[in-house]
Amino acid sequence: MSTFDPVLLAVIANRLDTIVREMENTLLRAGRSAVINMARDFSCALITGDNRLLSTAEGLPVHVIGTEYLGEAMCDLHDDIAEGDAFLHNDPYLGNTHPADHTILVPVFYEGEHLFTTAAKAHQADIGNAAPTTYMPFAQDSYAEGSLIFPAVRIQRGYRDVDDIVRMCRRRIRVPEQWYGDYLAMIGAARTAEARLKELCDRYGPETLKTFVEEWFDYSERTMKHVIRRMPRGTIVGSGRHDPLAPVLPDGVPINVKITVDPDEGMVELDLRDNIDCVPLGINESRACATNNVMTGLFNSIDPEIPHNAGTFRRVRVLLRENCIVGIPRFPASCSVATTNIGERLVVTTQRAIADAWEGYGLAEGACGIGPGFAVVSGADPRRDDEPYVNQKFLGSQGGPAGPEHDGWVTYGNSVTNGLMFRDSVEIDEQKYPIRVREIRMRIDSEGAGRRRGAPGAVVAYGPKTAPMQAAYVTDGFVNPPRGTRGGGSAAPSVPFKLDAAGMRHPLEPIAQVEIGPGELLGHALSGGGGYGDALLREPERVREDVLSRWVSFERAREVYGVVFVDELLTDALAVDEAATARQRAALREG
Amino acid sequence: MGYRISVDTGGTFTDVVVSDDDGELHIAKALTTYERAFDGVAAALAEVAGTLGLELRELLASTDGFTYGTTRSTNAIVEQKTARTAFFTTEGFPDILLMREGGKLDPFRQLPYPPPYVPRQHTWEIRERMDAEGTAFLPLEEASVVEAIAAAGAAGCAAIGVCLLWATANPAHELRVGELIAEHAPAMPFTLSHQLNPIVREYRRASSTVIDASLKPVMQTFLEELERDLRAAGLAGDLFISTSFGGAWRPAEVVARPIYSVGSGPSMAPVAAVTYGGVELAGEGGAPVDMLVCDTGGTTFDVGLVSGGEVHYTSETWLGGRWTGHITGTRAVDVKSIGAGGGSIAWIDAGGLVHVGPQSAGADPGPACYGRGGTQPTITDAALLLGYLDGANFLGGRLALDRDAAERAFAPFAQRLGMSLEAAADAALTIASENIVGAIREITISQGIDPREVAIVAGGGASGLNIVKIARELGVGRVLLPSTAGALSACGALYSDVIAEFSVSRYAETRALDLEEVDGALADAEAQADAFLADLSGVRTVAERKEFFVDARYRQQVWELTVPLPAARVRTAQDVAAIEDAFHAAHRRIFAVDEPGQYLECLVWKARATAELAKPSVAGRPIAADAGGAPVATAPAYFRETGALDVPRFDGARLPRGAVLDGPAVIREPTTTIVLPPGARATVTESGNYMITTSVEAAPPLGAQTSEVTVP
Repeated sequence: MSTFDPVLLAVIANRLDTIVREMENTLLRAGRSAVINMARDFSCALITGDNRLLSTAEGLPVHVIGTEYLGEAMCDLHDDIAEGDAFLHNDPYLGNTHPADHTILVPVFYEGEHLFTTAAKAHQADIGNAAPTTYMPFAQDSYAEGSLIFPAVRIQRGYRDVDDIVRMCRRRIRVPEQWYGDYLAMIGAARTAEARLKELCDRYGPETLKTFVEEWFDYSERTMKHVIRRMPRGTIVGSGRHDPLAPVLPDGVPINVKITVDPDEGMVELDLRDNIDCVPLGINESRACATNNVMTGLFNSIDPEIPHNAGTFRRVRVLLRENCIVGIPRFPASCSVATTNIGERLVVTTQRAIADAWEGYGLAEGACGIGPGFAVVSGADPRRDDEPYVNQKFLGSQGGPAGPEHDGWVTYGNSVTNGLMFRDSVEIDEQKYPIRVREIRMRIDSEGAGRRRGAPGAVVAYGPKTAPMQAAYVTDGFVNPPRGTRGGGSAAPSVPFKLDAAGMRHPLEPIAQVEIGPGELLGHALSGGGGYGDALLREPERVREDVLSRWVSFERAREVYGVVFVDELLTDALAVDEAATARQRAALREG
Repeated sequence: MGYRISVDTGGTFTDVVVSDDDGELHIAKALTTYERAFDGVAAALAEVAGTLGLELRELLASTDGFTYGTTRSTNAIVEQKTARTAFFTTEGFPDILLMREGGKLDPFRQLPYPPPYVPRQHTWEIRERMDAEGTAFLPLEEASVVEAIAAAGAAGCAAIGVCLLWATANPAHELRVGELIAEHAPAMPFTLSHQLNPIVREYRRASSTVIDASLKPVMQTFLEELERDLRAAGLAGDLFISTSFGGAWRPAEVVARPIYSVGSGPSMAPVAAVTYGGVELAGEGGAPVDMLVCDTGGTTFDVGLVSGGEVHYTSETWLGGRWTGHITGTRAVDVKSIGAGGGSIAWIDAGGLVHVGPQSAGADPGPACYGRGGTQPTITDAALLLGYLDGANFLGGRLALDRDAAERAFAPFAQRLGMSLEAAADAALTIASENIVGAIREITISQGIDPREVAIVAGGGASGLNIVKIARELGVGRVLLPSTAGALSACGALYSDVIAEFSVSRYAETRALDLEEVDGALADAEAQADAFLADLSGVRTVAERKEFFVDARYRQQVWELTVPLPAARVRTAQDVAAIEDAFHAAHRRIFAVDEPGQYLECLVWKARATAELAKPSVAGRPIAADAGGAPVATAPAYFRETGALDVPRFDGARLPRGAVLDGPAVIREPTTTIVLPPGARATVTESGNYMITTSVEAAPPLGAQTSEVTVP
């Protein structure tokens, strides 16, 4: 143990988290687009002046791990970084997640020394892509994707905007005022943290803070090592598969994760090199996303108390290769959809591989993809003189995976955000956009069964009121629904559909850009999460609760969980028939 | 004027404050009685009546105003003892209460998903649909309502909450559902969302509505019984019930909207601070000083804000955890609870980091020094080891503290840190203070308030132990600790007014404000406020006033800020510009940026009605005739800056007005203990309260090592 005051260690660590939360609060409340201010699709982090991840508070896993790469790019590209600078960075070939995540970096100087960098990252409503969506799965390269790419470009100098850059964005990005409002919110967040860090330097002195940083990383590393030392030893390989993207990948996208746990060394190695090359589609992972998603799968599987910073990461080795779909992409391979689809598969494949191999660790697969329930919609608003609108909807709800102790989280969203994101309010959406929501309800029998079950998904339907609406979405789990683990079942597939004016249901392509006319509805029956363990071991009382919640039908309770009720009534009087349940379970076991 | 009485019923104790003709305050405590609330109140009042040389009946008969605060509704929710409630919602949206608004605190922690406030089997879908613009897209199918009413009755529901989409834009369907309930289930209490809380955002409005409905049966019974008992005991004056809005209502109004009684106790502490601060803390030119109000309960540290003489309000009060509990959705005094109390446990994790909480020894077994079987080191144990608490005089001698038990609890913790017991106890108290400091910084800064520019008003039994430590780290120079600190909420109720807010949802954009529409909305809100005030005709009020507000946001934002309107109506382009200017300023203060030139989307227009009640002056407390201000004892205490040293102990009742005490020192009050670290100075004010100057500059930063300092 070191001589650094343990009390001071705790005090300063807490203070840094407070600063990050203050950034988050600023972004959430001041943000302009619904992606930010309703869905909370943003994250904030602090890194050290020499680009090590220091503090993330409650940032989205997919956003914050890898913030240090952004700082590296800023330092590599500029030898004149000065106080008052701010940099706009969204370059996935230089450390960013995907082009839609604009990041504002503010270097923090104290007594002339660059001590920290603050980072505010937020998914934008639009980034000037070739089509009105921030997700371009079929873009064959960066040119087809068409996003404006900013490799750590200076956007403020001396605390004032560099107007050239702002004008470029305003020219190209759809609904530019929305972008500018979000930009101001990000600047506000990053500058707030700058001021707070300087106050912290005033209070404790820069030398103490520098020592703190090393001590904090050492502490974090010790903690991680302690956790790994208690894990089982071995090398395992997990495989998963994203749905097909015809014609390039008609059989889907295979994902392999090799995981080696070495308790003696206190190291975990995550090897993604045995995967296919980059593809001429927008689904390639960026280096940041390949890294943070496979690490999220690991962190989902172990003690949640571990801090997530550069010290912890010393105990995790991630092996990537160039030109790999889950590795280091070469320009112009498109990473338009890097944060979600393939990224989500990386998370769930990793956590399920761990669960399959080691009892008590890991999770089943959670629901994946950004289907119609999370579509980017656009069009013209007849209520406002045909003013254009574009934004991602978060009306859907898909289910989280079951684990050894708990059932899945209902408002899970997806594996890269782990339930952190908010949902849209129907009324706010209808007020802001010319749309009407018909239905959002939990989808019966959509959960992956198990001793612990996955959370159910929802059924969603919405459409435009008087003028056509464009919707772009990238469903996954239609062909390969989320799988269970250790005997747990798969969830129901994720099914997009359209309801015509007469209420007739028509199938839709899982990955598409569609036009929905007035009177028509875009619909989505979303997946649940996969189950954990044998469904016949689930406590009948829990099955009763699921039935009363209308998540599980009487038939499924009987046939899958082996639970029989005295009378099939959806009231508090519903009672488990224990004798019949015992018989039914015995019969199913022999089955 | 006659007597004024206020009561704050807590989980364990009922606090009673009586002000007499001279404004002198008399405080008494009694155990809370659950069977019949009146019994506990009567016991405490009888004690005060005795001091005044009166019978209880005489005291009540000569009382003008009686304000009662209760945790009954909060407890009913926490203990799930509210009525079985039905939720009627628009067809297609039965899971609003389940899904809430999403969000979760900890990304990597697997947790069980919290159930909805009303389970799905007590939820019924009504076939109808209003549009955002207030037109009926689908007409109300009355058969679906009648069916739902029958089914709810059959399921044993004793109340109904009705929340239909866009009832705020057009309430016709909700009103009709209300009529049908009255017709088909005449005895069934119900709440209509647009009447209770006309805000946009279906989850918040629905949550308000079902919580309110679920409280109606229990609060009606409770308040009727209380009033009957008080009247029978001789109360002739006005009876008021404290509300979460920091005001008081007559019982009938609380019975009609019982959700406003949830959290009413804590909401009164900031009201007390406004009164005390107004007397003790005038800033330059008499301007009101911004205040941070800290009130420690048994297991929580409650924080509220007062700026410009106004209490801060919030629309985001969560019961049982932010995002995953249940939101009240109604406007309430903004009081945030931090899970830090005397029972919080100190521990060290595998990597060697020191933590305090969130685990708590609670009241049972309680801290190790309570001698009830607790073995974990807690903050109360730390305070005892540091010599801050007097083991023989804790809680007025009602509980003897066991120092040996505290030492045993702290020994392994100290050993692991390689520290003395006292240094380890100080470490625990420091980290506990830091947890509070971090939370306070988030709360103040998110409101655009710099904590260095405020004064702290502190109350509650344990706040005196580390409030100076906390204040110094926040950069706060002044701490006001009222002599009534132990009953801050009850005192607040004594100084509260009758306040109610009335809202009308009417969407409007400032770029082309439809003055007529807005005028209609404000007229509607004002009419409701006028009716409320007119209805108070029997009540002894001294003044009435109305204020107007609008909830607005920049174009395309979704979170609103509330800004005051310059006048009761918006009539001219200048009025509109004034609203925009006020909004820009508020946005800049809170979010560090604004967008001049951008127009506003206005959502909700509000009228706030205040009927001021006669209030006692802040005359303070009686001082003993032989008050000389000398210490009653000296005993060792440990401070990080100095190590252990002999520290004078003062008895608060024996300190004359104007007395000045320099730290290190410990002041004992009947309901609290005030620790003055080296460098801090306390002055007894003219009203008998304690004004502490913390000497921020003199103090080392929280957690920092300091060299030994010699104190003369």
